[in-house]
Amino acid sequence: MVGKGLLEGMRVTLKAFFNKKETLQYPEIKLTMPARFRGGELELDNKKCIACGLCARACPNHVIEMATGTDEQKKRHLKSYVYHSGLCLYCNYCIEACPTNAICWDKNYENSRYFKEELDVDCLAIAKQKSAATTVDAAQADKPNAEQEDTLKRREKDE
Amino acid sequence: MLKTETFTLNMGPQHPSTHGVLQVVLELDGETVVQAIPNMGYLHRGIEKLAESRTYAQFIPYTDRLDYVSSMGNNLGYCQTVEKMIGIKVPERAEYLRIIMTELNRIASHLIFMGSLAIDLGASTGMMFGFRSRERILDLFDMACGARQTYTYIRFGGVSADIPSEFIPALQRFLADFPAMLDEYHRLLTGNEILYHRLKNTGLISGQRALEIGLTGPALRASGVDYDIRKVEPYGIYDRFDFSVPLGQVGDCWDRYIVRMEEMKQSASIVTQALEQMPEGTVMATIPKVLKPPAGEVYHSIENPRGELGFYIVSDGGTNPYRLHVRRPSFINLQVLNETCQGLLIGDVVAVLATLDSLMGEVDC
Amino acid sequence: MQEITGLFKIAEILRDILGRFLPNPQLVDICMSLINIGAIFTIISLTAVVLVYTERKVSAFMQRRSGPNRVGPGGTLQSVADMIKLMAKEDIMPAGADKWMWILAPMLLFIPAAAVFVVFPFDNKAIFADLNIGIFYFIAMSSQSVLPFLMAGWASNNKYSLVGGMRTVAQMLSYEVPMVLSILGIVMLAGSMRMSTIVAAQQHTWFIVLQPIAFVVYVITATAEINRAPFDLVEGESEIVAGPFTEYTGMRWALFFLAEYANLLAVSVIATTLFLGGWNGPWLPGWVWFFLKVGGMIFLFMWFRWTFPRLRIDQLMSFGWKVLLPLALLNIIVTGIGMYIYEFFS
Repeated sequence: MVGKGLLEGMRVTLKAFFNKKETLQYPEIKLTMPARFRGGELELDNKKCIACGLCARACPNHVIEMATGTDEQKKRHLKSYVYHSGLCLYCNYCIEACPTNAICWDKNYENSRYFKEELDVDCLAIAKQKSAATTVDAAQADKPNAEQEDTLKRREKDE
Repeated sequence: MLKTETFTLNMGPQHPSTHGVLQVVLELDGETVVQAIPNMGYLHRGIEKLAESRTYAQFIPYTDRLDYVSSMGNNLGYCQTVEKMIGIKVPERAEYLRIIMTELNRIASHLIFMGSLAIDLGASTGMMFGFRSRERILDLFDMACGARQTYTYIRFGGVSADIPSEFIPALQRFLADFPAMLDEYHRLLTGNEILYHRLKNTGLISGQRALEIGLTGPALRASGVDYDIRKVEPYGIYDRFDFSVPLGQVGDCWDRYIVRMEEMKQSASIVTQALEQMPEGTVMATIPKVLKPPAGEVYHSIENPRGELGFYIVSDGGTNPYRLHVRRPSFINLQVLNETCQGLLIGDVVAVLATLDSLMGEVDC
Repeated sequence: MQEITGLFKIAEILRDILGRFLPNPQLVDICMSLINIGAIFTIISLTAVVLVYTERKVSAFMQRRSGPNRVGPGGTLQSVADMIKLMAKEDIMPAGADKWMWILAPMLLFIPAAAVFVVFPFDNKAIFADLNIGIFYFIAMSSQSVLPFLMAGWASNNKYSLVGGMRTVAQMLSYEVPMVLSILGIVMLAGSMRMSTIVAAQQHTWFIVLQPIAFVVYVITATAEINRAPFDLVEGESEIVAGPFTEYTGMRWALFFLAEYANLLAVSVIATTLFLGGWNGPWLPGWVWFFLKVGGMIFLFMWFRWTFPRLRIDQLMSFGWKVLLPLALLNIIVTGIGMYIYEFFS
């Protein structure tokens, strides 16, 4: 019959009309990213970092700018660590190159900025701020409601 | 005596259906095309030149960005070229993983083809359906390597990481659902008389002409020439799988459409076979940290969803390639646009562009 | 002067009130005409707002998405937000455009779309003007919408618009002929061109049962007349990027849009009146049946748009002249023979 294919097509769209919708209502419901998700900004753990420079050398696009120095015990430490997220290819080479697992992704996909300068992330400063905050928390650990605050913070971080 | 003139219509770089930034300068006589000259270069990023200042391993993320919807294929082509140069043997499990990823990517790429063809011809529902199915594949890739479109998963000597435990059940669920999805697309698009009449007998490319001009991929097979690198010169472990290569008869737009729809089915069958045969083991061979291939040149090509993707590397013994050239199928396939479109109407130009399936990232490199 | 009826009993009530205040009966008539005009424009505006929202929701549901659901409860105020946005846009006129033709085109397109509302039978004795050439008036007025497309296409000084304008003229003229012939079958059956007579003649059987071919031909030609998929290559977005409308922004574009949806409502109403029995139906009041049937026809047109790809210009022309026109003529011959046999036996 002429037109049979057209009627089949119409049946497909009518069936789709009554099917479940695939839309995710975004700001209210957010998807969790998989464990290996490569995105967001680099998160540095400055206690684990041994300032070897392998991450900066592995990067194809010279995205990581780091300055190292040696202190009195001839131990290398990190002086500055800037991550130019605007240049990054998200290829994961830096994280794979790091021998101590000091850097990882922060898995935050909502990282648009208003100004180009804000794309350059000072990972060392953020790491130091975070470690200062956790030492304050540890100091308040003997207070009665400190445990609730800790779990709240951890739940927020996971979301 | 009335004289008619042709007028120049510019299907400019910003156009809803030129699949990226491509300018087609159409010379029209009323509605009939006299000449259709593609003008590319709007997405040129100098990737081949960049290769000369990156080490071999550092170049892998850049190959993702060539044909950005089939990144696994690009990675595979480049890695196999370098492995051929150095002589690295890839472990068995890694070979099977590479096949699974590449064939899944072929399905994803052909779904984009189908969606773009549908929306260029006016059936925007087809595009939504195609992209929705592609999301399932992208979720699988996200699980395996953390990215949805630029994977950098295939590395020298194997793959970067083994698949997580939830990958195989999810893949099996997808493979179980896929025939029903394909059936829905066939009922919506392939059976549609309007689509059939739009695509049938337009944009004919004869097998002879296709071979002369260097056309490869599904466009060549739609013209009747049986040339699939996976069968002619199997790379990796393709010789262990049982799949057929769909062929067209006349080389019109309809054949190019049907060949790609059939290829999706064949790819799903290859993935099923690979899942059954995959052994346990390591996924990465031991390779030196600093790669310095011997001086010389090498060329290796694979069957990408768009055609024969080839990498030609000239090495001078150092850590960076001396010259790297990519034989890009979309670029070479696009040459055929002018002679195919002569005598067609404007609507057919859109159909021919959609069925040639050129991706601008690959055309411009 | 034609018998002028009114909508429900409101017209009679208004006429009484005005008659008490105004001395002259002619003055009452003039006031009633002005009120009718105002009512028509209100209906058109409401129609456009409701149909835009419906189209977006229907298209979304067919593509397994949700459609607008943020602005207002369930997204119902989305069209209002769109209208406000369009009114706030900058008014740009292309350089080198033929100024007065370019400005007049959307307005001239809107006028026939509004003028055909006069002959719609919403309920028993509820028509703005029950002309005895009712359906002929509809055909004549809707043919007027060809010229503004060509005006817009030419005056925009843009090759895409010109190609679109030429395509429109070809398409709309080619599909007028089968449409008129399919309507002719109905007129033969009903014996008159007056809308109320046609609806009254369908009290026992709807004409779609007696004239199925005419219904199919009418639906196809109506889709072509209002430039919707699969015949929307006038504004074929993937080829000529909005055709004659390319250079219009803001409120001017909104007028085109309004006219397009008013046309959609118009052909649905005509299909309902001619083929589906108008306001006839058991239990429920007439106007409820009317709106249900019109809603069904509108859903059918939207269903076509979101399923089918579009036809090429040469395929469209050959389909209209070589397939639909012979079908419509065949329908008339069969109808005539059928009527003769029916009269012969009864």
